[in-house]
This record gives sequence, C-alpha cells and structure tokens, in this order.
Amino acid sequence: MDERLRSIETIVASRRGEHGALLSILEDVQRTSDHNYLKAEELACVARALEIPLAQVYSVATFYAFFNLKPQGEHVITVCRGTACHTRGSKPLLDKVLAHLGVTLGDDGSATTDDYQFTVQTVACFGQCALAPVIAIDEVIHSKVSEDQLIELVRSLQQGGQE
Amino acid sequence: MDEKLINVTIDGRKIAVGRGTKIIDACKRVGITIPTLCYLEDISAYGSCGVCVVEVENSPRLVRSCMHIVTEGMVINTHTPRVLHARKVNMELLLANHPLLCTSCERNLNCELQALAHQLGVRESRFGRTKTKFEEIDRTSPSLVRDPNACILCNRCVEVCESMQTVSAISMIGRGLNTKVGTFLDGGLANSPCTNCGQCALVCPTGAIVERSAEDEVFAALSDPTLTVLVQTAPAIRVGLGEAMGLGEGALVTEQMVTSLRRLGFDRVFDTQFTADLTIMEEAHELIDRITHNKPLPMITSCSPGWIKFIETFYPEQVDHLSSCKSPQQMFGAVAKTYYAKRAGLDPRTVRVVSIMPCTAKKYEAGRSEMDGAFKWWKKEMDLSDEERFADVDWVLTTRELARMLERIGLDFSTLEGSDFDDPLGASTGGAVIFANSGGVMEAALRTAVETLTGTVLENVEFSDLRERAGIREAALTIGESTVRVAVANTLGNARVLLDQIKGGESPYAFIEVMTCPDGCIGGGGQPIPSTAEIRAKRIASIYEEDRHKPIRKSHENPSIKELYETFLTKPLSDVSHQLLHTEYTKGDAYRY
Repeated sequence: MDERLRSIETIVASRRGEHGALLSILEDVQRTSDHNYLKAEELACVARALEIPLAQVYSVATFYAFFNLKPQGEHVITVCRGTACHTRGSKPLLDKVLAHLGVTLGDDGSATTDDYQFTVQTVACFGQCALAPVIAIDEVIHSKVSEDQLIELVRSLQQGGQE
Repeated sequence: MDEKLINVTIDGRKIAVGRGTKIIDACKRVGITIPTLCYLEDISAYGSCGVCVVEVENSPRLVRSCMHIVTEGMVINTHTPRVLHARKVNMELLLANHPLLCTSCERNLNCELQALAHQLGVRESRFGRTKTKFEEIDRTSPSLVRDPNACILCNRCVEVCESMQTVSAISMIGRGLNTKVGTFLDGGLANSPCTNCGQCALVCPTGAIVERSAEDEVFAALSDPTLTVLVQTAPAIRVGLGEAMGLGEGALVTEQMVTSLRRLGFDRVFDTQFTADLTIMEEAHELIDRITHNKPLPMITSCSPGWIKFIETFYPEQVDHLSSCKSPQQMFGAVAKTYYAKRAGLDPRTVRVVSIMPCTAKKYEAGRSEMDGAFKWWKKEMDLSDEERFADVDWVLTTRELARMLERIGLDFSTLEGSDFDDPLGASTGGAVIFANSGGVMEAALRTAVETLTGTVLENVEFSDLRERAGIREAALTIGESTVRVAVANTLGNARVLLDQIKGGESPYAFIEVMTCPDGCIGGGGQPIPSTAEIRAKRIASIYEEDRHKPIRKSHENPSIKELYETFLTKPLSDVSHQLLHTEYTKGDAYRY
C-alpha cells in the first residue's frame, strides 16, 4: 500500500495548482486502482496532499456518479429502469441477471460478484425509450433485449473470462 | 469603502442604503424582517431555502433577497400575494420530508422551521414525503447529536464549520434525494476533526443538531441521598440563563441563578469564577516564568476546549505554546474533589461535580482521560484501585439544558429571590467575571501580571484595546522597562491567523488569548438560541457591568484564593498545583479518520 500511496502523491503533484484539480486527481486515482474504486485511505491521502479537509473530498467523491467507493466488477451491466423499459419488462431482466450472477442489489442500488467479474447497476433512463428495454454492458447499448439474450451476453463474457 | 448610497423603494417607502447591501438587509432598515431559514448575516448566503423571496419590479422571476444586492432605483415589494404564496409553497416543500415529530424534538417551541411555518400560514401538509430512507442518527460525539432526518439541508452548519471555524468536519455528502450533511466516510463527529464547539447547533434552524443531554443523569444524581452534588456555573451563564427563561436578551441574573440551582436540589452552589481567579494566578505566573526563563513564547491560553482540540488536531507541532493550565471548569473539579472534599469531611467517591457551561465542548473536555487529577491525588492516600476511577467533573449541562431542567420542575424564575454562592468555592473577582467575554482572560491576567511584575497598583484595570469588538485585537503594554505585545482572537478562523504567524516565525506577541466562539463564551455553542451578533452585544455589556460592580476586581486579591494557597497549594506552580491544575496535550492529525 505504501507504494500505492506514493503513486497517489505523484498524481497529486502532477496536477497541483490546476483549476478543479481535485476532480482530475480523483479520476486518475480511480482509473489506476484495482477494481475501479476509491479506497478510504486513498481519499485521505489525496486530502492530505492537497490540504483539503477530508469531509470536502468525501463530498466530491459522493456527489459524482462517476466515482465508486466500492470495488467494481470487470464488466458493468447497467439495466434501465425508466418507465418505458419498465413497461417492457426491465424488472424481470434485472431480476434474471441478478439471479444468474447470484447477487442482490445493495443500499446503493448496485451489486458486484465476489470474484469482481461483474457489477450490476440500474439507471433512471438512457433516453433510448423507443428501443426499450435497454441495457448497457461495458458502455455498449443493447436494445430490445430479451431475458435469454441478456443471459447469453453475460455467459459469453463469463466464458471469455475463463479462457 | 465606496460611500455612495443606493436609492431603493421597499413597499412604497424610499430609502437610501450602502452599496453592496443585500435586499434582505435593506428590508430590515424599513422594519421588515424577511423570513429565511438559511441566511446568516455576515457569515453566509447559500440561497437554499427559498423562503426569503421578494418581488422586484421589472424582474420576471421572484428574487431570493439573501442572494441579491440592491441596485439604483430598485423597486421591491415584500408582501404581494405572489410572494406570500411562493414562500408558503417553498415552506410546504421543505416540510414534506421533515418528520413532524415536534413534541419529541429538543427544539420544540424554539424551532425556526416550526415558527416560520406558522408565520407563513402553513396549516396543512399537502405534499407527500419523497425520502424513503431513514438516516442513522450520529451519536458518536460526547458533545453533540446529529439527526440527518430533521435536516432541511440549509447548509448553515457546514458554513460555520468551514468559514467561521475553518474546521470542515462536516460537508454535504451524496446527491439528489440522498444528500445529507455528514462527515468523512459518514463515520460520525467523533471520528472527524470536529472540535465540539457547537456553533452548528446554534445556527441550525431545526432540531437536526443538538447537544448531547445530561439532564436525566443529573436529575438522578440530585435525588440520590448518598451523593453530595456540587454545581459550578461558568461566568457566561449569568447573562444567558435569564434569556432562556424569558427575561430578555443579555439579562444579568446571577443571584436568581444561584437560588434556582438550590431549588433544583444541588447541595452546594459554587462558581467556576472561583477557579477562573485560580487560573489567572497559575497562568500569570506561568507567563512570567516563560518570559524570564526563555521558554516558548507566545504563550496561548487554554481555557477553551474547542480551541484545545483545534490546535492539537491542526497545529500539533505548536502545542508547546499552550499554557499548561487546565481550564477553570477542570481546575474546579480537581479542587472540589480534593481541597473541598477534605475540608468538608466528604469521601471524594461520593462527591459529584456538575458544571453549567455555555459550551458543548466542555462535555468533551470533562470526558478527556487525563481529567482525573483528584482521583490520582487520592489514589495513594486512600489506596484506590483503577476500577474506582472518577472524573474531576461528572456531568456538564449547557445553559439551554439548565433552562429546560428549571422549566421541568415548574420553577417561576422571574419572581425568584436572589441569593449568594456558597463558601469558599463561590468567591470571585471582576477578573473572573470577564472570562465570559473575548479578551477577558487576557485582561484579567494582565491585571495580575502587571501588578506582580511591577509591584505597583494598577490605577485603571480596564484595558480598552482588549474590549474592542473584533475577531483579532492586539495591545502593547509597558511593564517596567519592557514593552509586551499581546493579542486576542475569537473564532478558530481568527486563531488560525495567529497560529500561522507563529508557524512563520513572525509572531510579535508574548501572550495570546484564544476563544473558540464568536465574542467568547457568551457566544458559546451551549448558549440560548438565537445567539446573533446583536444579542451577543447585550451579553457582553452585562458581563462588563458585573465586573464594574464587583468589590474586588483582581484575581490575586480574592481572599478565598489566598486561603487556598496558604492552606493547600502553597504557591502558584507548586508541586500540588502541577498535579491538580496543570495538564499535558496530545498531538493529533487533521487527516486521521
């Protein structure tokens, strides 16, 4: 961990003085982390290096949806829970993929498998209502998805991961 | 300063106000108080609550009067039907997610949200709740309890913590419907740099931040016949309690306060001012010792526990500048459970000390692990085991808690006859009274230090430079042949300025007084709400009036203090003094969590 904290200090040093440095720094720290998230000690390290109060760093990290405070899966499956998708069966889709992966949504509305291969989360609306139900896997949008198709997509990622 | 005046018309009245005046403040000048739940004059404007809206001619939208400054020729209407309707709707929206549990709320009947809802004509709750999650109540702090469920996200607490105190223990966390005020990792105040000052509780418009109450514990102790319960009252209580009991802002009620404490059932009613005089004796001699023996200067006062936590947390490398003197509250506990217990023939294990303080941080201070000087003192003599440890001060009540206790027993405070403190820990001088005001500890210390150093009698004991109402003040004194420069700071933001000077090696001062709260203890986090600058001015005046009327005004002339030294402590900075009245500090870290 010491090495990791030193690398964070290097990230902070490279951006010190930039306008809005905190956001870019947290972005860099998250990108270079294992499992794409910000650890408490990493946030504290950034706060100390930038001389910004801990609570303010936490405020920024919890405000932006982009930042994760829990480990994320290798693959992120986002199920749209907007009205159009809901009427076209997004709830069964969500339940199906959760059951397939053996996880349940936590308080924060997401779930990650124990092997950190998959994170399932929801979104209020993708703005692709005509194509409902819509899901995104690793930022690629899939439209008019059936339960079987979704499981097939997930299976192929699972098999890909095993190769 | 640009002196040019701006002409505006408010509700048909023409008025000229200074450039840069906010609409809300201009309205005050024509006798209109605009309702607000988030604006804090001179501290912050956040514009979150939306109840301060007014109509400005030629402006298509309603304007939040706390966020806009007046412009030449502006025509403002403060109570058109449109304004009144908008305020009411905004209030109803704020109430939608507020638990309407007023009867079980500590701020019931002293709640800005409740009062304004009534004032703005809210008689029904039309909007349903949108928040579904119950937020956990933060009970980690020894001083404060935070209930995010009662919070209306006005941002006042975040603002005072950040800009007035420069602590930033709390911030807005999360977003949207899940936004709440919280600490780093939501770990609670005890796991944050919070100094326990309680300024957040003073400005909270609801019951979302309140002191951690010890009322029930004290009632229980008072009814226990096996205990001798002593009470001490801080200087600022005598100008705060009357206010809380409805006798008017800054009302001086020393003698009624003493009687009311007897009526509550305390066995002895003593005065923290007694140990304020004792603090001066020890602190003045420590200062002289530091000056004459080339020890670290400036020396900084140590009476204010929020300040102690602040310097330990944010400037750990500078704790050597702190006077080693305990605060008057802690000196009292240590002296009461040794000197007084012995004198009165009491087993110290059956003595309880209750403090009435204008302060929430005093609760934290009393609970610090090193604050058991009396136990350590008796330990050998009585062969006590560690399990029998007792603290010097058992419970701390704020001014507000005492007022609630008096209300609970139904005591008619306004018709109460006055009485005097008990001897010998009730005797005090004017020097001790002024501890309540920012600059007072410095002034009292100088009254004693100057006379001790020069051997002459001070003609004028009032140091007017130290009484100016500013966040930082300074004075230069000629003592004998040398000039000594001193400074006074109130609020932690101002203390930080003086600490940074020391850090940079540029501090010209020999002695600095720091108080955590605005204007000192009279503006403490445990004082009656509201505690605005205007109200604090009245409390300050009452304190100085009490000082003027004290027959003895210099701490070293207090006969009971002389007796304490003659019969027990021997002399200032003696071994017994060090054991009971002095302390050590801990080096903390602002980034620990």
